[in-house]
Amino acid sequence: MLGLQTIFPATDFKLLLVIVLLPLIGAIVNGVFGRRLGKEAVTLMALFAVGVSFLASVVAFAMLAGAQTDGGRAVRFVWRGWEWFEIAGRDGLSRLPIEMALSVDALSGTMALIVTGVGFLIHLYSTKYMETDPGYHRFFAYLNLFIFSMLVLILGDNLPVLFVGWEGVGLCSYLLIGFWYDDDKNASAGKKAFITNRVGDFGLLVAMGLLVYYAGALDWTSLDTARQNLLQPVKLWPVGTHVPVAEVLPEAAREWVNTPRYVSAATLVGLALFLGCAGKSAQIPLYVWLPDAMAGPTPVSALIHAATMVTAGVYLVARMAGVFVLSPAAMFTVAIVGAATALFAATIALVQNDIKKVLAYSTVSQLGYMFLGVGVGAFVAGFFHVLTHAFFKACLFLGAGSVIHAMHARIHDTDASQDMRNMGGLKSFMPITFATFAVSWAAIVAVPFASGFFSKDEILCKAFTSSVALPVEGGALGAGPARIELFQWPSWGPGVLYAMGVTAAVLTAFYMTRLVIGTFLGEFRGWNIVEGWKPAHSAAHGHEAAHPVEPSELETHASAGSPVADPHAADDHHHHEPYVPGEPIDGPRPHESPWQMTLPLVVLGALALFAGFLNAHPLHITPLEHWLAPVFSAAEANVAVREDAQALMWPLMVPGILALVGGGGVAVWMYLMKGGAPAVELAERFPRLYRLVFDKWRIDELYDETVIGAIDALAEFGVAFDKYVVDGIVSRFTSFVVAASGTVLRQFQTGRLQAYACVMVIGLGGIGWYLLLPHANATVAADAARGSYELKASPGFGYSYRWDSNGDGTWDAESFGQQQTLNVDLEVEEKRTVRLQVKNALGRVATEDFVIERPKPDRSRVAGPPTRIRIEHGPDGQVRGVPDGAQGGQRQLFPSPGRPPAPAPGGQEAAQ
Amino acid sequence: MTAGNVFFALCAIVSLVGALVTVVARNPIRGAVGLLSTIVGMAGLFLMLKAQFLAAIQLIVYAGAVVVLFVFVIMLLGPDAGAVSGQPPKARFSRVVGVLAAIAASAFGLLLLAETSAAVRLPQTRPDHGSVEAVGGLIFRKGLFLFELATVLLIVAVIGAIAVARGGRPARRATPTKDEGRRLFAGPLHPRDAGRPLGKEGV
Amino acid sequence: MEPLGYVIEHYVALSGVLFTIGAVGFLARSNVLVQLMSIELMLNAVNLMLVAYNRVHGDVMSGQMFAFFIIAVAAAEAAVGLAIVLSFYRLKSTVNSDAADNLRH
Repeated sequence: MLGLQTIFPATDFKLLLVIVLLPLIGAIVNGVFGRRLGKEAVTLMALFAVGVSFLASVVAFAMLAGAQTDGGRAVRFVWRGWEWFEIAGRDGLSRLPIEMALSVDALSGTMALIVTGVGFLIHLYSTKYMETDPGYHRFFAYLNLFIFSMLVLILGDNLPVLFVGWEGVGLCSYLLIGFWYDDDKNASAGKKAFITNRVGDFGLLVAMGLLVYYAGALDWTSLDTARQNLLQPVKLWPVGTHVPVAEVLPEAAREWVNTPRYVSAATLVGLALFLGCAGKSAQIPLYVWLPDAMAGPTPVSALIHAATMVTAGVYLVARMAGVFVLSPAAMFTVAIVGAATALFAATIALVQNDIKKVLAYSTVSQLGYMFLGVGVGAFVAGFFHVLTHAFFKACLFLGAGSVIHAMHARIHDTDASQDMRNMGGLKSFMPITFATFAVSWAAIVAVPFASGFFSKDEILCKAFTSSVALPVEGGALGAGPARIELFQWPSWGPGVLYAMGVTAAVLTAFYMTRLVIGTFLGEFRGWNIVEGWKPAHSAAHGHEAAHPVEPSELETHASAGSPVADPHAADDHHHHEPYVPGEPIDGPRPHESPWQMTLPLVVLGALALFAGFLNAHPLHITPLEHWLAPVFSAAEANVAVREDAQALMWPLMVPGILALVGGGGVAVWMYLMKGGAPAVELAERFPRLYRLVFDKWRIDELYDETVIGAIDALAEFGVAFDKYVVDGIVSRFTSFVVAASGTVLRQFQTGRLQAYACVMVIGLGGIGWYLLLPHANATVAADAARGSYELKASPGFGYSYRWDSNGDGTWDAESFGQQQTLNVDLEVEEKRTVRLQVKNALGRVATEDFVIERPKPDRSRVAGPPTRIRIEHGPDGQVRGVPDGAQGGQRQLFPSPGRPPAPAPGGQEAAQ
Repeated sequence: MTAGNVFFALCAIVSLVGALVTVVARNPIRGAVGLLSTIVGMAGLFLMLKAQFLAAIQLIVYAGAVVVLFVFVIMLLGPDAGAVSGQPPKARFSRVVGVLAAIAASAFGLLLLAETSAAVRLPQTRPDHGSVEAVGGLIFRKGLFLFELATVLLIVAVIGAIAVARGGRPARRATPTKDEGRRLFAGPLHPRDAGRPLGKEGV
Repeated sequence: MEPLGYVIEHYVALSGVLFTIGAVGFLARSNVLVQLMSIELMLNAVNLMLVAYNRVHGDVMSGQMFAFFIIAVAAAEAAVGLAIVLSFYRLKSTVNSDAADNLRH
């Protein structure tokens, strides 16, 4: 350990680089050279990258454990890279440097273990699952890239680095959901995920901006102290000093409109952060991408949409716990939205038939639980649920993948091979899968002593007994108009949250039991099992041995949820044997999956079963809480717990167990005993309600109509504007102007001589008119300084001139002469009117008046030395400038080089 | 009422009437005669203005050559020379505007003229004013270069007239029908078409 | 009335009227031959004006020299113009100047 501590000191913890960069290297190698390297090399590279990253995480974890002392401060190992960029602080002068830095502490260390550990297992699983996919190397490149991004997210030392990872996992999610991009459905699902994430990311960016502005810090260490600055009021309304429109409103309304409204900065930050979490972790209203994301390969669903990426939101809340607890309003929002999502998603999962969709909505629901946990201040409980959920949900998804893999032996249609109605009775064919699936079922429905029991139960218990309150005098922040009444945790809060959680637990038990029954128990409904069944047409074709399997066929064929295991299955594509539901078909015996797929299942199943004991509150075995305590100690100061919390612990567990029994029991009765008949009856009795729930409450359609409809309308407007206004003006109007002027001017191009001559005559007439008439013009050359003005008359044919130079109305000379220039001298400020009369050869006369004026001289620019200012240090220590008019110009303000500055009596030279 | 007045009035009237006839007559021969009348009247006016040499030149060149040329061409064209009526002239508008503009311009000029103060009688001239020696001396001294240029111009005009009027295809009937008119213009329109037949007749 | 023909203004007026008649004739008539004759009229009018002014300012004969050259050029121009009329007639078999509209758009 000591050796490790020398190699990796706590302030320059380069082990983090190993953890983070190995998957990146794996991604680059697999992505760039993967096709050339071949499948085995790609497998080795990918597994090696993640595996060694996992081992390094273990080492880091151990080092952390070794360094953490009991009750001491939270240990954090940091690696500082370089300065990424700088932001100006609030006052415009200070600068906040943003560094590229990684750090690990108890929370991120645990999370890194989960990510790399579960990630490794899923990589192993994928080596078999994606074996026949032509994009094998691309898949592992993306998967490694995802692990890299997730690790950057977790191990980032400040919010910008976290944001880099945040965006990176969003990108990888998009790439992996749309992995089989030939099918438009998959590409659309990827786009939906990315865009919905982006909406949330906006919230995260706003939060970062607010933090820079109000707290002046973005990294975890500084935020611990700087977060107190967030308790300041922010004026939300009105923007500016008053609302101009309010002038026209009646008195009362105007008062209401013009009243300034304030919130605390912490609330704004919390809500903005939660918007980001809602996007990433699929809460209301941004959960819509997660069910569609099931279009990706099942390992992707397991890793990204069950275990790791979607928990990034919970991780963020836990990370920023210190900021969140400063705002009870934000915390309550988190809790309520989490509980609502848990309930809402569970209702949708009740009636879904696609096993992956059931698991997807189950994920959304469980994420709601996690947010419920961290929202009431139970950070450890929420994070614990992240841990257990990672295990059992990944196991469930991988098990589903195993089942789909088996179904694909006969049914290749995506939706049909995942439909529960085609399954059943797989228990006898896939025992390992069933066993691990059942164990995970036990965990998720909270069977006592399974891991989910402890985590979910603790959340529910804490929801009932905890509340968040700021220890501030008078329950208000700020003073005067900016006084903010602090949000008081409502008294109905704990009860309602608990009730919602329990209801969701009932529904969870129901649909999960329904899932297990439908998939594994009962009779197999997929096809008639014929021993030794081969694809029917292989004998007819007779050349299957030499039939090469085209990769293109495989690729288009593998647009379903699992690849084709049977090389002859490609022939189905030619044979056009579509699966028609309802028609009985023959098929082989469903087979268990190979060890690369079942081993991860077993490991995850075991973890799902036993990981609960990491934080088994009722049994008082809580190493996890102990481990994470230093991280959350500051935050938990604001979390108030009821005095009788300890006593209520056992009674609060009862509704949870009742939920399990009730929900599970109803499902067993309905499906196992009555074969699903009551469900069908219910659906027929309330067909519209059933349809509504089955269509996911038509939220997607609602979004399409409102949000997307609005954007579409804006786009339509833009198109119309572009087409009619911009194009209309720029291209059509200008061309119209050109064409119109051309049409007009073309009338002159008659080709006839006489028309041209006519135009000439008109022109000649004009010229003749101008020439025949006299025009009296003169230019004035002015010399204002001396007051002499010279008027020069313009010449012309046979012109003779007559002047009136003194403006008295009489001509200087009676006869017209040839004098063209006239000189006039003016006094200051004198104005005179000079007249000119011109006669041309025809004897016609024209007259013109000229007014010349000599202006006042311009004394604005003073010729003289500028006034001097003397700097004095007053008795009170102030510095002021005193005009130095009395003394002459000997003293200089800025001493010239080589000359010592002259001393000033009682003052000092200016320094600047 | 001296002889000069009468002579002036006579020549002026002859010129004006001739001009009017030129412009108004349908028959171009009548127009040519009117032109002749104008020229003769002008020659008389030149004599009034003591420009005897010019009067002689006017009669020799204008009346003796230009008008004869006009008459020859009218004769060549035959009856078609005057056959322009039948359809109303195109571009009535521009014609009307042009005519009105011309009349307005000259009326304006004449009005200006009328507003001048009392006219001054023509001054005395030197004895050889307008004589052959005077004009010729000026031409061959100051205007020698111009004279040579005028010679060149005349030669060029002769060559040009021959070139333009020749047309390239001799001995064609003087009264072709309308669609034969196009083929009358035998000869290639452009040197590049030389050697290629133009229509059915060829070149 | 001043002595007719002994004042420059009469000649100027007559010249103007003749010029106007020539201009109007050119613009109003569509027969090419008449147009050419109108041009000759205009040239004659100008000649008259030149010679008249030369009578007034008689120290140098430049006015008459100018008129001499105008007569020469007018002759040349009439020759070439008539040649063009013949060509035109051959092309369009009419002497209506409205037919000469190949430059029309």
